[in-house]
Amino acid sequence: MTLIDFVNLVISALLLAGIYAVMSVGMTVIYGVMKIVNLAHAGFMMMGAYLALELFERFHLDPILAALVVFPVMFVVGRTIHWLLARWLPSSDQPTLPSLLLMFGLWLVLQNLGYLIWGNTDRSIYTSHTLSILRFGSVTISSVRLVVFIAAVACMGIIQIILNHTWFGRSVRALIQNRYAGQIVGVDAEKTASVTFGLGIAFAGLAGALLASLYSFNPDFGRPFLIRAFVIIVLGGLESISGVAIGALVLAFVETFSILIVPAGYQLAISYGLLVLVLIFLPGGIAALTAKVHRLA
Amino acid sequence: MSETSAPLSIPWLVKRQNDALLWTLLAGLAILPLLVSSPNLIRLLFMTFLWVTTSVAWNLIGGFAGQVSFGFAVFYGIGAYTTALAMNAGVNPWSAFLGSAITAAVASLIVGLPTFRLRGPYFAIATIGISEAVRVVMTNLSFTGGASGYRIVEHCAFRQLEHYYAALVLAFIAAAISIFISRTRFGLGLNAIRQDEDAAADLGVNPFAYKLGSHALAAALTGMAGGVFARYAAFIHPQGVFGFHTSVHILLMPVIGGIATVWGPVLGGVVFGIVEEEIIASFPEIHLLIYGALLILIILAEPGGILGAFRKLYRRLHGKHAG
Repeated sequence: MTLIDFVNLVISALLLAGIYAVMSVGMTVIYGVMKIVNLAHAGFMMMGAYLALELFERFHLDPILAALVVFPVMFVVGRTIHWLLARWLPSSDQPTLPSLLLMFGLWLVLQNLGYLIWGNTDRSIYTSHTLSILRFGSVTISSVRLVVFIAAVACMGIIQIILNHTWFGRSVRALIQNRYAGQIVGVDAEKTASVTFGLGIAFAGLAGALLASLYSFNPDFGRPFLIRAFVIIVLGGLESISGVAIGALVLAFVETFSILIVPAGYQLAISYGLLVLVLIFLPGGIAALTAKVHRLA
Repeated sequence: MSETSAPLSIPWLVKRQNDALLWTLLAGLAILPLLVSSPNLIRLLFMTFLWVTTSVAWNLIGGFAGQVSFGFAVFYGIGAYTTALAMNAGVNPWSAFLGSAITAAVASLIVGLPTFRLRGPYFAIATIGISEAVRVVMTNLSFTGGASGYRIVEHCAFRQLEHYYAALVLAFIAAAISIFISRTRFGLGLNAIRQDEDAAADLGVNPFAYKLGSHALAAALTGMAGGVFARYAAFIHPQGVFGFHTSVHILLMPVIGGIATVWGPVLGGVVFGIVEEEIIASFPEIHLLIYGALLILIILAEPGGILGAFRKLYRRLHGKHAG
């Protein structure tokens, strides 16, 4: 492998990590606040992708701008679903059997509604700049990927600011740290949970819409990404936003460089292999590792 | 979900009657083919027995121990392929079924060993991951024909009743194991783990070993069901036996019937086995949509399933008579 190949691979891994981070952050906040594993995440990503497609085909909206429209729409969808379904689940500091089954059922419903509405043909969003490439010497970058990456990083920045500098963000962090203590000091758990759920779904939709301009998709679109999102949030220690960024980087690099050794058909097996390795050696995620190193130093 | 009532608390289903019900069912279903000779009915019952087996098996880990698995198709598929490969290599079917049980149980350790030590959502997540990964591998594996499937060649006449009795005995074994477990310390331990893992550990139950054990048992039963199915179908392919919908079906049945009870999963399997073909025939496009909606409805409205609803009804009637 030449140096140029190496640089190209590093760049594509970085670009991939951005979108992986956006995809996983929604799942992390929902898990952190409500201890619900959002198995329907894939369904919401699929909805986001098709919403972007509809906006692009009907209103000729640029796919990236469409993603920005998808975000608030999916936020409303998320809050509605929380109001309809999720709020009836018993609250717990561990994921419960009913919550897993409920979200799984929701995933089945969303996925098959997708089949009903949009059929099972593969769709894609093709614009004039889909195939355009930026050249820096021998290093090439797909411009759509770069734009998607920038949008993804911007979103991660925005959620970081929301969580660190707003009253809502403070409530979220309080509930993630300790649900009961948070409630004692006056955090409205129900309302925070509702907004968080909306936000988590909105991020899933956004990630779907962004991915839609990179890949072709069908109603089963989100499924391989669901496993990846799991791997990423487990790597990140389940509840931390910065952990998600690190987890996304790790998975993106492992996947990108594994193409050199492993056939592309086995990509999902790689995510799963990574998950098993992490569970055995690093059950607390990477954050636990750095904490350990810290203590030793 | 963590109801405090023990699995056997239905007043009219006490120990003896449980046994009697099981034996009566077995006897009745064993005689049935002698009375009616409809190949269609026999096939329907054959599939229903297999569904009951997998449903009862899922309940051992998902119900009794409260560890939801979304990946039972892995064991069903591994069982099916083990029997298929063994029979084509000349092994007799009964040993092949046993082989299926063993390979599926070994496969269950691959999910269980890394995840059961931990608490939280890891097991549920890993089951989705492994079922996806295994299907990908099986579609690409060359010696089993990959995505185009695998054919079983049996050099003898097709005797439907032999398949029927094999499935019946398997379903009986599964139900008997489930009933037996619910009466032992092992079953009580699983119950304790479902309700509060810390408390269970304090009382001397080893959650890791208990979960691993019941998962392996469940996998073995599911693997045998897969093997029996493979021999009957004579052709299997990854999208079928390893399919996502297989996992969905296996998970749905105990939920319909009543999770963490002895008879709930049996009931769920029977209802599903009879209704499933109708639903798939009438709504081929949206049957998973229906199942998803059903899952949501049951969890929100009656987490106890059919059996839970019956129990409530019984209490209400009983209360009226008393008052």
